[in-house]
Amino acid sequence: MLENLPYIASQIIQPFNLVLMFAATVIGLIFGAIPGLSGTLAVMLFMPLTYTMQAGPAVIFLIALWVGGCSGAFIGSVLLGIPGSASAVATCYDGYPMAQNGKAGKALAIGMIASFVGTFFSALFAAILSQKIADVAFAMGPWEYFALCFVAITMVLAISKGNMFKGLASASIGLLFASVGFSPIDAEPRFVFDNMYLMSGLGMTIVLIGIFGVARIVEEYGKGFGALPDVDTKSIKGLGITLKEIKAQTVNIIRSFAIGLGIGFLPGMGAGLSNLVAYSSAKNGSKTPEMFGKGCPDGIWASEVSNNAAIGGSMIPMAALGIPGDSTTALLIGALTIHGLEMGPMVFKNSGHVVYLMFATVMVCGILVLILQALGMRVFPLILKVPYHYMYPALIVISFVSAYVDSSSLYKCGMMLVFVVVGLMMSYGGLPTAPLILAFILGPTLESNMLKAFQYSGTAATFFTRPISCVLMIVGIACVFSPVLRMLLGKMKKQGE
Amino acid sequence: MKIKRDQLTGAVLVILGIIVFLMTTTFSLPITASYPGPRMLPSIAAFGFVACGLGIFVEGTFSKKEEKVYLVKAGWIRVAITLLVIAAYIAGMTVVGYLITTPIILYVMTTMFAKGSKSTVKGRILFSVLVAVIIYVIYVYAFGLTLPAGMLFD
Repeated sequence: MLENLPYIASQIIQPFNLVLMFAATVIGLIFGAIPGLSGTLAVMLFMPLTYTMQAGPAVIFLIALWVGGCSGAFIGSVLLGIPGSASAVATCYDGYPMAQNGKAGKALAIGMIASFVGTFFSALFAAILSQKIADVAFAMGPWEYFALCFVAITMVLAISKGNMFKGLASASIGLLFASVGFSPIDAEPRFVFDNMYLMSGLGMTIVLIGIFGVARIVEEYGKGFGALPDVDTKSIKGLGITLKEIKAQTVNIIRSFAIGLGIGFLPGMGAGLSNLVAYSSAKNGSKTPEMFGKGCPDGIWASEVSNNAAIGGSMIPMAALGIPGDSTTALLIGALTIHGLEMGPMVFKNSGHVVYLMFATVMVCGILVLILQALGMRVFPLILKVPYHYMYPALIVISFVSAYVDSSSLYKCGMMLVFVVVGLMMSYGGLPTAPLILAFILGPTLESNMLKAFQYSGTAATFFTRPISCVLMIVGIACVFSPVLRMLLGKMKKQGE
Repeated sequence: MKIKRDQLTGAVLVILGIIVFLMTTTFSLPITASYPGPRMLPSIAAFGFVACGLGIFVEGTFSKKEEKVYLVKAGWIRVAITLLVIAAYIAGMTVVGYLITTPIILYVMTTMFAKGSKSTVKGRILFSVLVAVIIYVIYVYAFGLTLPAGMLFD
């Protein structure tokens, strides 16, 4: 690990890379803060910019966008009561009431410090643990990889409450999109209709930006933007937080950090879930649970430490196994492949220096975000005042420019428009987008490992005779049926009472 | 009887599943117990569409929850117009390229989106030109990428 330090230092101190990191962090913070946008969308939109870059600057740029996006989400939660993204939902519960009580500065300060703690230390853990997990992963074959992908997709279904059918339908759409083009191993053309643009498959950029980005903007416009939120920046006076107050949160911070790291590590989950689990754990473990929801600092600490700790947590399976911890890491895996970085255990042998640069960038960005937020405490909330009629047209243009840059073809821009319509139809039907993203990105890995496993053993039974694969398959199947199991258990409990 | 949104979604998914399944039957390699081949993944997707479509349809039929209106008529019109403007943007880039089309489309969209809020024509023109130029400079000069020049200028 330490032998990579000279490379990491040489990359990070390069002026061009420093400018990239600064710009990407600011863009990420803006995307994270504005409700409806997110760090994931920022990574999607600006990913094609990295195509002409070397691996080092590309990694720095993409990671800075991601960290900025995760760290900016609490601004909207605190000042508007509307989370910037799903990762800061629980921050609203106490952040907004605290701001309403005239302590917006304190709420923002807690958010900043908690985000830093979660980001910095989770990346440190990831740097230490990833190599060890990668060493273990060498013993894994296609059976285990298939089972891991299966679990990653099904775990998202397990948390789509009451929407199992819709979650599964969304995952099926992702699998269908992943099948377009030549199949792995057998090179059978599937759903290509003799169209040369479909031969190499549907590009990640056009599918995801179309469904996840542009469709949302068009839908928002259809529903009507409404008035701009009223942001009170006058009540932000100083940090209003002491070292003693931070020390008093030690147990809460450690617990929330462990929850964030653990949930981030689980394939398919991430900050969207960790902040809610950490919040309820903090409430359950508090001596004054009745204070939660009324501006209690413990709630903001729990939510913000855990959602940022999920960054490092999700980087572990991404680097060590090539399996994404959440939607953003799924995108990063795709983006890094373009730069010749095939994530998984071999990456430490082939490009270990770039992987450690990734972890180091997260840590440096954590510090940069803290400095930027502390200095711009009264400026960043103004992001929330950017009029929709300026922001959204610019985003639509960037989306289509990204689609063009991705393939140097306007045909793909036309295809993206089709996916905008698909996104609108999915939204009309109430289908969630997260299962589609994971299934679409994991589809090729899932399929090629499944086919390899069959080539080696010639039977499906091997998935259940190898211990790790068997456990993972059972977990995956349990996840698919978890809503039914929960319902049955609930009924049994009621009957017992 | 009014068709519920979930019923429509379910029905569309079932039909889509059947179409996908029928298309998989045209693949040259069959699914066998010893090797599922290229048909397997799309077949799983087709099965997922049919099973989930039926589930959503049945749930929607028996659900007593009142469905929220997704979009009012005026909203659908706004969506359709936006899609048409985007289609015009792509067509415009194909013919006259990025630099001419983008400021025009940006102006059209900012004007559409600004309806009911404070904004001036001068401000929107300035914004449209500035954003188009900034994006061009970043993509072309800073990152060495190309943007559409247009058939007329190629």
